[in-house]
Amino acid sequence: MEKLLKQACEKVDSAELFKVKSKTIPVNFEVNRLKSIDISESEGKALRVINKGRIGFSSSTGKDGFNLMLEKAVATSEFGSTASFDFPGEMKRENKKKKNIAIYDEKAADKSIEEMVKIGEGIIERVKDFNRKLRCDVTILKDYSEIEYLNSRGGNFSYHKTTIAYSVMAQQTEDQDMLMIYSSLESGKDNLDAKELTSEIIENLEWGEKIVLVESGKMPVIFTPKAALVLILSIISGLNGKMILKKISPFTSQKNKKLWSDLLTFYSDGTIDFALGSAPFDDEGIEMKRVPLVEKGEIKNFYYDLQTAGMAGVESTGNGLRAGIQSEPVPGISNLIMEEGKVSFKEMIKDIPEGIVIDQVLGLGQGNIISGAFSNNVQLGYKIEKGKIAGRVKDVMIAGNAIEELKNIAALGNKAKWVEGKYKFPHIYLKSLSVSAKK
Amino acid sequence: MREIFEKALKNNKNNGDYIEIRAEKKETTTIHFQGEKLEKINYSQQTGGNVRALVKGGWGFISFNQFDDLEEKIREAIEVASLIEKEEVSKLAMSLPVVEIINRELDKDFRQVSLREKKDLMENYNNIIMKSNHLIQSSNVIYTDRFSTIYFANSEGSYIEQEKPFLSAGFTAVAREGDNVQMSSESVGSTKGFAIMERISEKAQRAASRAVNLLKAQPVEGGEYTVILDQTLGGVFIHEAFGHLSEADFLYEDERMSGLMKLGKKFGSPQLNVVDDGSIPDLLGSAKYDDEGVRTKKNYLIKEGILAGRLHSRETAVKMGEEPTGNARALNYRFKPIVRMTNTYVENGDTPFEDLLSGIKKGIYARDCYGGMTTFEMFTFSAGEGFMIRYGKIAEPVKDVVLSGNLFTTLLNIEGVGNDLKMIESGGGCGKAGQNPLPVSFGSPHLRIKKVVVGGR
Repeated sequence: MEKLLKQACEKVDSAELFKVKSKTIPVNFEVNRLKSIDISESEGKALRVINKGRIGFSSSTGKDGFNLMLEKAVATSEFGSTASFDFPGEMKRENKKKKNIAIYDEKAADKSIEEMVKIGEGIIERVKDFNRKLRCDVTILKDYSEIEYLNSRGGNFSYHKTTIAYSVMAQQTEDQDMLMIYSSLESGKDNLDAKELTSEIIENLEWGEKIVLVESGKMPVIFTPKAALVLILSIISGLNGKMILKKISPFTSQKNKKLWSDLLTFYSDGTIDFALGSAPFDDEGIEMKRVPLVEKGEIKNFYYDLQTAGMAGVESTGNGLRAGIQSEPVPGISNLIMEEGKVSFKEMIKDIPEGIVIDQVLGLGQGNIISGAFSNNVQLGYKIEKGKIAGRVKDVMIAGNAIEELKNIAALGNKAKWVEGKYKFPHIYLKSLSVSAKK
Repeated sequence: MREIFEKALKNNKNNGDYIEIRAEKKETTTIHFQGEKLEKINYSQQTGGNVRALVKGGWGFISFNQFDDLEEKIREAIEVASLIEKEEVSKLAMSLPVVEIINRELDKDFRQVSLREKKDLMENYNNIIMKSNHLIQSSNVIYTDRFSTIYFANSEGSYIEQEKPFLSAGFTAVAREGDNVQMSSESVGSTKGFAIMERISEKAQRAASRAVNLLKAQPVEGGEYTVILDQTLGGVFIHEAFGHLSEADFLYEDERMSGLMKLGKKFGSPQLNVVDDGSIPDLLGSAKYDDEGVRTKKNYLIKEGILAGRLHSRETAVKMGEEPTGNARALNYRFKPIVRMTNTYVENGDTPFEDLLSGIKKGIYARDCYGGMTTFEMFTFSAGEGFMIRYGKIAEPVKDVVLSGNLFTTLLNIEGVGNDLKMIESGGGCGKAGQNPLPVSFGSPHLRIKKVVVGGR
């Protein structure tokens, strides 16, 4: 790689190479039986150059073709954005508390396909023990990746990383009614508990057996951790340094202003052991750290990559992430952690005379996210009557504006859960939300 | 490629019941303007391939970027396939071996157009958006072109090479007044030459003016309405809500689902006809052969209101005792072919637009689409633009119009089919099983549907 970089620097001011090599193996079960085993090997590199002060970028898979890559990177630099940064020099983690971040587990890397098959079979067995008529789709996945980074200012790092994920979809069809329940667990470490998954699914199946009617109107709602993104997605997108810089975000002049309930505190943190978004450095060589985004309802920070930070005249927060080798780094969230509250999910339910629990929605991220507006079909939700789960709701939509609704948090759950291996959310209990139901 | 493929297949002749190899070479150029600035301009080249092997009913699949040892990849695919024990063996429907090389000639080949010319053109569109109104806060103009060549060979003797050009431009305008931020998008996708990109300034203009108009629109009041969908939203609806349920991989292993989707069942009024056709020349979902080497064709899904057919791969066809339809498609070399739509549309009825409007006291005219999603029977999609209909006339604009419902009842509730079918080729695509965005086209005449749930505050 160093040789390639030298070659590049004969033509440009400075250059950076980012290389990824990975192997992913999902074992897929469909309709209760093993359907396929896939192996996905990938390899590629991305070249970013600064040429006459402008950024150029190209990427390629395969071993050869560096010359073409360099030629294209130079060609794109002719029109590229003016670089407002230079590549970082020597890289080492300075955070004393968290020098080493665990992201590689040998046991995960060595997990055999046979073992993965057994885990999947075990999950299906347990779900089917509950109800033989269910359709169950399961994926057991492992991933191993190697990242290598090098730039012409001497900056370099490399690391390897593992991921293990179990995901389950249980489906029950009766006449024209279909109940679908998704659940998944992800970790960098081979420590997942399949029982946790199956017991969650079985609890949902029990709650969902009976269908109950809901009247349209405003009512209290509880978002489970799985559904919390409905409320948080637009906030995350509004705190993106790029959205701020371009003044697209409604939070552009809201830093250090109190916008939401005192209960609301969350941060981006790429240093948590075995969380999927963790790494020693972001994808352009800046140390990953914990960045408080919202504290007690007040916006504390926006998140940045190098280029956006340079343009905004601030420091990168170590949030320069790439969505694959074809993409340049942009501001992104490594892991997002929301602080827990004090109330248990059970107590929340008890507190509600009439309301709904929202567990899965359709249309997440659809519509005008940045404005905060959301409108979703409740794909899986339960009605609460007199402090108890009464049954499942159907043909119900929720709508609101996340920026407004988060002002009225009644309580946060006392047991946050990982979602997709990179978000950690508690239950969120809102005093009131618009619910529309089919007459 | 042909020699490499044939040699690897020959040396594994006695292993596995069926083996196929696909490879893809592609070059992609992306130009992205955001606000006043050129945000991104880049180029990528990718070469990759995969092997899919069927051994006693179990599938093994391996994808890779390095072709150094193709025979070894075949052995690995066979090895993992052998781990799958089957009580019931999956087979493949008959498909005659084909040898064909399909090249595309473009009227203005985008590979010959300079980066500067592409950039200047997009800059021009970006300026149209940014300068159209003082309330325009920002924009996104994203241009992509991609030229792929797909190579396919299988152990039955097929060898097919297909060139697949693709280009798209997406325009988003962001308008802002105080805290009120509204967005609107337009896009164009095509498999033809660069010329199409030179005549879309109207789209940029429309994205901008619609975003500004949305600032004044009131949020729609939630409830149940009679709704008229325009051609885009009608097309999205038929693709999302109905089309996906016609994909046989949803059905063939699921008795209850196949019961719901029984051929001959009444799905709508006699004026409702729905088609999927991958053989229409050069639309986004078109190809002469699908990714299993099966010839594409016109397939009726609903004929005169009756469920008439569904979409198949070779595997699902044999399972259900039907013919392959040419609908096995893979997003790229990373993925296996699965059952997908191509170009899906509602055929013309005979009701003019004005007649669809008449008699609606209070309804919604929903146009364009922000996005849609479906889970089996339930669907939801967001209109890009909405208007109230009052006493048969289009009235004030409304925003945040999200339609949702149960497919089966909604199809039966279609009470009017227009006579103005339009095929939509947008820059987006269809997503399924992680394979997103797969180029497809869709279309419909205006549709009038009663009792649709609209979310709102």
